[in-house]
Formats: sequence, structure tokens, C-alpha cells
Amino acid sequence: MSRLLVVDDEANIRLLYAEELKDEGYEVVTAANIAEAMEKLQEGAFDLAVLDIKLKNESGIELLQQLVKERHNMPVILCSAFSCYKDDFSAWLADGYVVKSGDLTELKHEIARVLAKKAQKAKTGL
Amino acid sequence: MGDCPNIREGDEDLLLSQRRRILEKCCDCANFKRDLKRFCENGHPLASVFSLVHDEHQRQKTQIQSLVSFLDNKTLEVRFLHELGSVLQSSVDLEEVLSVALTAITAGKGFGMNRAILLLTDRSHAQLKGYLAIGPRNYEEASQVWDEIASNDMDLQTLAQNFRLNKLSAERAKFHDILEQLSVPLDATDHILIKALDGKHPLLIEDAFHHPDVTPGLASLLGVDTFLLMPLHSRNRRIGLIIADNCITHHRISDEDMLSLETFTFPVAFAIERASLYDRLQLELNRVTEASNKLQEQQELIVRMEKMALVGRITSSIAHSIRNPLMIIGGFARSILKSTPASDPKRDFIESIVSETRQLEGVLDEILNYSDSLYPTRDFWDVNRVVETAIRDLQDRLIQRGCECRFEPEANLPQAYIDIKQVSYCLRTLILNDIDGRTGENIRIQISGNSDSIQVSIADKDRNVSQDELDSLLTPFSISHDIGNGLGMALCRTMLDKQGIPLVVIAPPEGGITYTITLPTHKEEPS
Repeated sequence: MSRLLVVDDEANIRLLYAEELKDEGYEVVTAANIAEAMEKLQEGAFDLAVLDIKLKNESGIELLQQLVKERHNMPVILCSAFSCYKDDFSAWLADGYVVKSGDLTELKHEIARVLAKKAQKAKTGL
Repeated sequence: MGDCPNIREGDEDLLLSQRRRILEKCCDCANFKRDLKRFCENGHPLASVFSLVHDEHQRQKTQIQSLVSFLDNKTLEVRFLHELGSVLQSSVDLEEVLSVALTAITAGKGFGMNRAILLLTDRSHAQLKGYLAIGPRNYEEASQVWDEIASNDMDLQTLAQNFRLNKLSAERAKFHDILEQLSVPLDATDHILIKALDGKHPLLIEDAFHHPDVTPGLASLLGVDTFLLMPLHSRNRRIGLIIADNCITHHRISDEDMLSLETFTFPVAFAIERASLYDRLQLELNRVTEASNKLQEQQELIVRMEKMALVGRITSSIAHSIRNPLMIIGGFARSILKSTPASDPKRDFIESIVSETRQLEGVLDEILNYSDSLYPTRDFWDVNRVVETAIRDLQDRLIQRGCECRFEPEANLPQAYIDIKQVSYCLRTLILNDIDGRTGENIRIQISGNSDSIQVSIADKDRNVSQDELDSLLTPFSISHDIGNGLGMALCRTMLDKQGIPLVVIAPPEGGITYTITLPTHKEEPS
């Protein structure tokens, strides 16, 4: 079972993600800010992280940069209300990008795609 | 007039004064000279005294006449200089000043020289360069010009104006060859022209072809043996040099001519400098005016950009404030829907929530795609279909408002080269703007076109819009309660502008409002 870390400042969104992704067969751990996210990361390994870009006064992009630097084997999917971040070069560090929607189909597809890619990479070493 | 043969008609007053009669007439009278001769021959003791007194009287009379003639000439010269000064002082136009100066040198009533060539200092290139010349090139031309001047008794200003308007360009062209070759570096202090320029006083060059300071090239170029070099100085600044000569008549240039011309050069130099400064001032003024206009345009642009930046901030705020709750509502509704049996009567309500949130997310996407409007993605589309789809999308709201929207597709139209998403958004916004907050409106959409463009008009005959409302219509957040909040219209305009599609809004005083957009049918980029 893949273990996912979901970071979003909205409690209801964390709950929604947790419920929906658990239904998809993932183990989901949530965090409301960067400090909490780092704490969860210290506690155990994750197969993938889903990050919101706007975390109240913090930036999900900063967390993304930190994760790429420190945990480059863990893929990250950015999830935001802003489609414009797709063109932000700092967001290119992420493995996937999803615009927030009540319909989580796209997010679920993206998680599956990124995890499959990670598995393929682990298998082939490429 | 009595017995005196020298008193004629008009000299009657001399009959009243014997003293005047003797002084003015008798001394020159042949009878008096004959009597005086006889007087001497007879050996009268006073004869030698009479002779001496008579000779001295005649000498002084001649001297006085000469002085009177000199004073008359000087009076004419002063009058001419006064006229010249008046004309020069009243002008700040360089061409006019130069025309006056050169005309004064060559006009018969002026200094009467045959030819004048003006050289001006070019500080940027550190050169003394030929600028303008006036005068005939040969005797035939000279006699023709002088006859013409003699037949028209014109004052200096009129002569100069006539020259400027009718002859300036021709004279420039006529002397082009000479002017082109008259170019001397200002630091060539051995050159006769620079020597004259630095010397500050007129310099008469005689026997030019053998003059040690005159190069054969210069003498040959001017083609005269004698010429005058007159430097033009103003406040110790070297303005230029005038070369004057009598190349046709070969009249001698006298010392008096030189003195007169020296007096003339001061106001000319001053006027040339003033006119040049005025030219530069005018140039600077034009630059400042141009810069001011650009600044004003930039300010207006900044104001527009600030307004649009405000739109950007508002949409950003909307994105975060609305999308998250929408996502939560829609997301949980979908979750509940998944676990709700098909037979559950509440399933319809949940489906409605899912459907409405999806629609709201779509609207939000459109607003947030505002930034994408900067980079439209265009392709060829059937405009009839685009309009029909826009109306269908709004059908529910039209019915709800009791509005009627009439549209008859136009056959045989070419496809339009547009960003379909943006143009659809604009059509929906224009229609919605019309029915916003109103009921019972009648909207008519018409399409017309040719091979180059397609016009889509959305008209509402029942709507009355004031000029102020019309002006604020396309400004973001300039709220008009009658025609909506203006945000959608501003986005429309931005989107259409980026595609080079004009949006024209017409609201005639008699009522009604018509929006017209003209869609391109070719792939050319908008200019």
C-alpha cells in the first residue's frame, strides 16, 4: 500500500483528500503546514507527497524545493487553485501538477501515473 | 528776371536778398568773371584781393558740397542699416535671417555687391561650411535680375521675402557645387577663411590668384581676383563668414564699403545666432512636447494597467477564496453520491450540488483564465455554431429572465480565425450583460460577413444607456447598476484586443445598445 503525505492548510480539503484517497487504497497522512509536514516526514517514509501551493503565509513551492533537495526519491504533486503556476518554472520541479477541483479524478490519475513512473524507475534504475 | 541771366523761374526769392544773390549766383556768373578779369587787366589795386577771395569761396563751396554728398550717403546708409536692423530683429527664422542678410549685401539699395556666399560654423563637426549663396553666375543672368529688381521698387524686407519664397532653393541648387567645396576645418588656422574668421574684421583679398594666403583651389573656385571676407561674431562666438565680391561688374571694393559692411556684420551675426538658438530651442521644445505626450500616454497606460492589475488581484483572491469551498462542497457531494443508492430520493439533490459546483468551477476557470487571454490559442471555427452554443449555454438564464434571444444562422460564411474559448466567453458575457438584472428583454443577434471578416452584432433595442455608463462600460470595476459591474466587459475587451478583434459599443441617444465584434477570417497576426 503506497503511503501518501497530503499538505494543505484547509482542514476540510485534507479530510476530503484523506477519505477519497483511502478509498483508492492509499495510506494517507495529512499536514496543515510546512513544520507539520517536516515532522511527519521525520516520523516515516512516504511514497509521494501532494502539496498545496498556498499554505496561508507559507509557500508550498518552498516546501517542494526542500523536498527535492532532501528527499529527491519522493515524487511530489502540486495541487493549487491557480492554473498559472503551471508556467512558473519553480513549479517544474514537481512531478505533477493538478488544478484543484471537487472532482478528484484528475488528481487520482496523476497520483497513479507518478507512482507507476516511480515504480518503473525503481525497476529499471532509469 | 530783370537783367540777370542766372536768375530763372523759381529763383524769385533771390531778388529780395542781394547778399544771397551775390553768393549763390554772381560768383559763378560769366559776366562777373569777365568783369573780374578786366578788373585785373586794368591793374586795379584790389584786383588780386578779389581774385583770392573768389577762389577761396569756390574752394569752400566745393568742399561743402562734397560734405553734403557724404552726409547724404551716410544718411542713406544709416536708414538702410536701421531698416536692416528692424527686419533682422523681428525675425527668429534662420532662413529668413539669412535671406535678409544676403539680400542686403547684394541689393542695389544695400551694399550693391554682385555675389555673397555665407559659410556657417558647424560645431559638431568642427568645420566652417558653405551654407547659402546669392547672386548671378553670369552677366546675362545679372542683367535680367537687376532689371527685374529695378522695375519693382521693393523695400529690403519685401526683397528678402521674395528671395526666400521664390529663389532660396534655386540659389542653393545653383551654388551647390561651390557650397559643397567650401568646407574648412576650424582648426586649420593657416587657411585664409579661418584666418579671416579669427581676425574679427573684414579682410579684403586682392590679386587672389597670386595671394600668398589664398590657395589656388579657393581662388579658382570663387573665380574672382578680388573678394571681401567678413567674419560674423556674436559675443565672441564664431558664427560664420560671408564672402562678397563683384564677380560680374568687377567694381572696386572701397575702404568705405568695408567699413559699412563691418557695421552690417554685427546685427547679422547676432540675428543668425539668435535664429539658430531659436531653432534649437524649437527642436528641444518639440522633443519636450513629444516626451510629455509619451509620458502622458505612459501615465494613462499605467492607470489602465493598475486597473487591470486590480482585476488580477481580485481574480487571485477569488481563486483562493472560492475555489477551495467549491472544491470541498463538490468533493464531498461526490463522495456522498458514490455511497447513495440510486433509489434514494435525496440523490437528485446531491447530483444537483455536484452539477452546480461543476458549473461554478467552470465559471471560475473562465475568470482565472484571464491571464491566459494574453496568449490566445486561435484556430478556424464556424461562427454560427459558436453563437448557437453560447445561446444554448445561457438558455436557462434567458428563460428564467423571460428574455428572448433571436438568432438566425447566416449561410455561406467563411470560418473565423479565433480563440473559441475566449470568443465564446465574450459572447456569453455580452448577452449576459444585456439581460443582467432585467426581464423581458429582446435581444437580437445578427451575423454578416465577407471573405475578410465576420461581424457579430448583439442588439437590444429596449435598453437605454447614458454616455457616462457607456464610457465606464469597458473599465474594470467601474460599476454601472444599469449594465452590470463591468468586470466581464473589461475581460472581454482584453481578450478581444489580444486577438486583434475590435469591440464597438453603440448607444444612440434615441435608445438601444448594440455590441459589434469583427472576427478575422485569415491567419494574419493582428497589427
